[in-house]
Amino acid sequence: MPNNAARSTGISRRSLIAGALGLTAATAGGGLLSGCSGSSNASGAGGGGAAPAPPSVTLGPKLEGVLYPDGYIGPVARELKPITSEKVTFKIVVKQDVTIGDWKTNAFTKWLEQKTNIHIEWNQVGGTDDDVMTKVNAMIAAGDIPDAFMGIEFTRSQLYLYGQQGLFTDVNQFIDGYALNLQQAMKDYPDARKLVQAPDKKIYSFPSINDCYHCRASNGRTFLNTDWIKQVGLDVPKTTDEFREVLRAFKKADLGGNGRTIPFCGYKDAPFDTYFMNSFLYNPGDPWLVVNDGKVDVNFNKDEWREGLKYIHGLYAEGLINKDVFTADQDQMDRYGNAPGKPIIGGARSYYWGGFLDIDQKDPEARWRKYLAVPPVKGPNNVQYAAWNYLGVGVEVAKLVITKKCAKPELLVQWADAQMELEAILRGYGGPKFAWAKKGELGINGKQAVYGFSATWNTEKNISWSQDNAMYRSQDFRLAERVNPKDLTFESPLYQQTVDNYFPYKQPQEMQFPPVTLDQDQAAQEAELKTNLTSEVNLSFSKFVTGQLDPNDDAAWNDYKDRVEKIGVKPYLELEQAAYETYNA
Amino acid sequence: MSAAGTLPPDEKRLAVGAPIQDTRGDKIALACIYTALGFFCLAVLYPIIYVLSASVSNTKKVSAGEVWLWPVGFTVDAYKAIFDYDAIVSSFGNSVYYAVVGAVVATVLTLLAAYPLSRKGLPGKGIIMAAFVFTMMFSGGLIPTYLVVDQLGLLNTRWAMILPTALAVWNVIITRTYFMVTIPEELVEAGKVDGCSDFGFFWRIVLPLSKPIIAVNLLFYAVGQWNSFFNALIYLTNEHLFPLQVVLRQILIQTKVDPSQMPDTSKLAQLKELQQQLKYSLIVIGMIPPLLVYPFVQKHFVKGAMIGSLKG
Repeated sequence: MPNNAARSTGISRRSLIAGALGLTAATAGGGLLSGCSGSSNASGAGGGGAAPAPPSVTLGPKLEGVLYPDGYIGPVARELKPITSEKVTFKIVVKQDVTIGDWKTNAFTKWLEQKTNIHIEWNQVGGTDDDVMTKVNAMIAAGDIPDAFMGIEFTRSQLYLYGQQGLFTDVNQFIDGYALNLQQAMKDYPDARKLVQAPDKKIYSFPSINDCYHCRASNGRTFLNTDWIKQVGLDVPKTTDEFREVLRAFKKADLGGNGRTIPFCGYKDAPFDTYFMNSFLYNPGDPWLVVNDGKVDVNFNKDEWREGLKYIHGLYAEGLINKDVFTADQDQMDRYGNAPGKPIIGGARSYYWGGFLDIDQKDPEARWRKYLAVPPVKGPNNVQYAAWNYLGVGVEVAKLVITKKCAKPELLVQWADAQMELEAILRGYGGPKFAWAKKGELGINGKQAVYGFSATWNTEKNISWSQDNAMYRSQDFRLAERVNPKDLTFESPLYQQTVDNYFPYKQPQEMQFPPVTLDQDQAAQEAELKTNLTSEVNLSFSKFVTGQLDPNDDAAWNDYKDRVEKIGVKPYLELEQAAYETYNA
Repeated sequence: MSAAGTLPPDEKRLAVGAPIQDTRGDKIALACIYTALGFFCLAVLYPIIYVLSASVSNTKKVSAGEVWLWPVGFTVDAYKAIFDYDAIVSSFGNSVYYAVVGAVVATVLTLLAAYPLSRKGLPGKGIIMAAFVFTMMFSGGLIPTYLVVDQLGLLNTRWAMILPTALAVWNVIITRTYFMVTIPEELVEAGKVDGCSDFGFFWRIVLPLSKPIIAVNLLFYAVGQWNSFFNALIYLTNEHLFPLQVVLRQILIQTKVDPSQMPDTSKLAQLKELQQQLKYSLIVIGMIPPLLVYPFVQKHFVKGAMIGSLKG
C-alpha cells in the first residue's frame, strides 16, 4: 500500500513536528476526551490540577539477609506494601516486545500486581521505535489517551510540549509526598533534578536512573587484538603514530593469512570519528556540540578536525582500514569478526565486542577476550581525550508518563516508585531467578556482591519487563552483580577496561553539551538544521576519509566549511546556546 | 493431425513442416535472450536459496560468512525457536486470517462496485467514477481517518484490519475494464430477452465468466493484506491481534544501536542473538504463504491482469 508507506515514513521522520500538529487537532477535538478512563472511581476531576494529599506514605521495612558493600549507594530491598486496599485499574500503553513476552501474563506483572494491588490494563503498540511514536502521536492527536505511557521514548522537548499543553501531568508535585525511593535517588544523584525538569521547572515524566558506567565511554571505545600486538612485537599504542605502526605491522605480518588481514575495521552503526578525532580535539560525536567557557560551539569546522581527517585518510589510503568502513552493517562485521579459523581483523571501532563478533561467555579462550578496549592515543599536539558522557547516560526521562486522563496520578507515582525498590528492580529487568549474594561472593567491581542471577538472559521468556519501566539502578547497584566464575560475563571486563583505559582520559565536564529541552518553535527549527548538518558532516567525513575529497587540498576543505556554514551553523548554535542557558538557569 | 492425412503429399510435407533453419542473427539473438533471462532468473533465485539455506544452517556458521549457497551445519533450531515466541505464532495465525477474510470482503466489494460501473446505462456513472478516482489522489489524512475508525468502534478489533481501506480503487478500475471487455452489452440484452433480472444476470452469467478477474482480485488483496503493517500499527493495541509483519518489523528492522539510548549491552547482546537466530527462518515463514498461493492463481493471473489492463 504505497499510500500507507508514504504516510508512515513522513510521520516517523518528523514525529516531533507531527506530534505538534496532531496536538492542535487534539485540542480542537477536545469534546472527545470524555472524562476519565472510568477505571478508578474518582469524580472525574482532571488529575493534573488536583492538589497533592498530605504525605502519608512510608517505606516498608528493610529485608533481612541482604548484604551491601561498604559505602553502597543505591536501591535497598524493602518489603513492598500494597498501595491501595481495593484493587485499582489503570490503562497503560507500552511497546510490544517479543523479548518481554506477553505483558498480561508476564511474571513481573503478576508479582507487582500482587504486591501493590494495582492492576494494569495493557495496551501494546507494535513495530519499530519509529512506528511506536507514529502510533502514539496519532493516539494523542485523536484524544485516545491512556492513563500513562510506559517505555515510550518521548524526547525532552516532546515532554515539555505536551506538558505545557496540560496533556502530561507534572509529577514534581507528587514526589515529596509519594515517591520516597525516587527522593532518595535524587539525593544520591544531585544532577538528576536538573536533567529531568523542563524549562518551566516541572517534571513531566517519572524519571529512571540507570547509571551505566561503561556506557559513558561507549562512543570512543575501540578494540585491538592483543595477541597480534604481541606477535608483531609491539606494545599497545600510545600515540597516533604508534597506532599507525601497529596497524602497518598487522598488515605486513598478515596474521589473518592469505592476505585476508584487515588491520582495522569499522562499520556504519558505530561512528568512526569519535575515537580518532579525540587525538586532535575533544569530539563527543554527533551532533558535535562542545562548550568552551560557556560558549556552545561545533568542532567539525575547526582546523584540528582537518588534521584528524588527514590522519584517518592516511590510514585508509594505506589500506589499514576496511574498504567498506562506511557501508558495512552488523552482519558484515560479524563475518569479519567471526571468520572461521584464525581471526582476520586486528581491531575494530565498536561499543562492545558484540559489535564485531559473537560473544561466547562460557569459553575462557573465546576470541572476543583477545580484543582489548584500548585507551585513546595521543595526537601530535598532545591531545588525548576519551569523550566521557557525564550527562547523557544515567538519568532517563519518559520511562513513565502520566497523562491528564489519569484520575489518581498519586497512585501511579507510588506504583512507579515501588519499582525503584531493589527486589522489584531485579525482578523487573532480570526475572524471578535472582538470589541474594552470600558473604564473600564478589561483584563486577570486586567488592561484596548484592545479588546474582542464576540463569543467563534469553533462556526464559515472559519473566521480565526488560528495561521499559522506571528503575533506580545506581552505579553501585550495577556493579554489585555477582560474577559467576563459570559464566564470565563481558560486563566485568567491559567495566574494568573502561576504568583503566577511558576514565583517566575524560574531558572536563564543563566541555560537554548537556541534554537540553527545546520549546516547540526551537524544536522544529533545530530538527531541520540538525538533520541537514548531520548528513553533510557525515557525508563529507566519509568523502575525506576515502579520498573522494582530499583533506590536504585547501580548496576542498574551504568548500566544506562553506557548505556547513550555508546550511546554518550560526542559527543552529544560537538555538543551542539559548537552550544551554535555559538549562543552566 | 488428422487433417494432414487427407492432403496431397507435397502439401503434407509442408504442413508437417521441415524445421526452419534459424538465421545467424536469430541464433545470436536467442542466445542473448537466454543469457539475459538466465541472469535475471539467478538474480531472483539466489536470495531465495540463500535465505532458505541460511534458515536451516548453524547460526554461528551464518554469521561467520560460511554459508553462501547451500546449508552449512544443517539444523532446524531456528524454526523450533519460533515456537518459543507466542507472539510470532499467534501473529502468523492472525495474518492468515486477515489475508483470507480481508481478500474475500474486498473482492466482493470490488465486484459489486465494478460491475455496475461497467454498464452503459447506469445514471450518474461519471460522477460515481470521479468520486472513486478522487480518493486515489486525496485522502483524509491519518488523524481524521483514525477518528472515524475510533467513532465507528472499530479500534482495536479485527475489523480495523479489514474494513478501512478494504476497497482499492485501482482494482475496481481493472475489474470494471475486464467486465466492459468480456461481457458485451449484447449479452445483457440477450439475458433480458430471456427474462433475466440484473442480479440474476450478475450471479448466473457475469460471475461464472469472471473467474480470472476474481482470482486476480483475491490474490492482490490477500498479498496486500499479508504485507501490510500500517493499519495494524495504528489501529491495534492488543498484541493478540497483531499480524506477522508488525512482529517482524520489531525483530528484524529494529536496529537502533545508539548507546545512549540503550545503555545495556546485555539487552543489546540479547537482541542481536535473537535477530541472528530468527532472522532467516522468519523471512521464510513470511514468504511461504504467498509462494504457496501463487502457482494456483498464476494461470488466471496473467490472463485477468492483461485483459483488465487494456483500458485501465
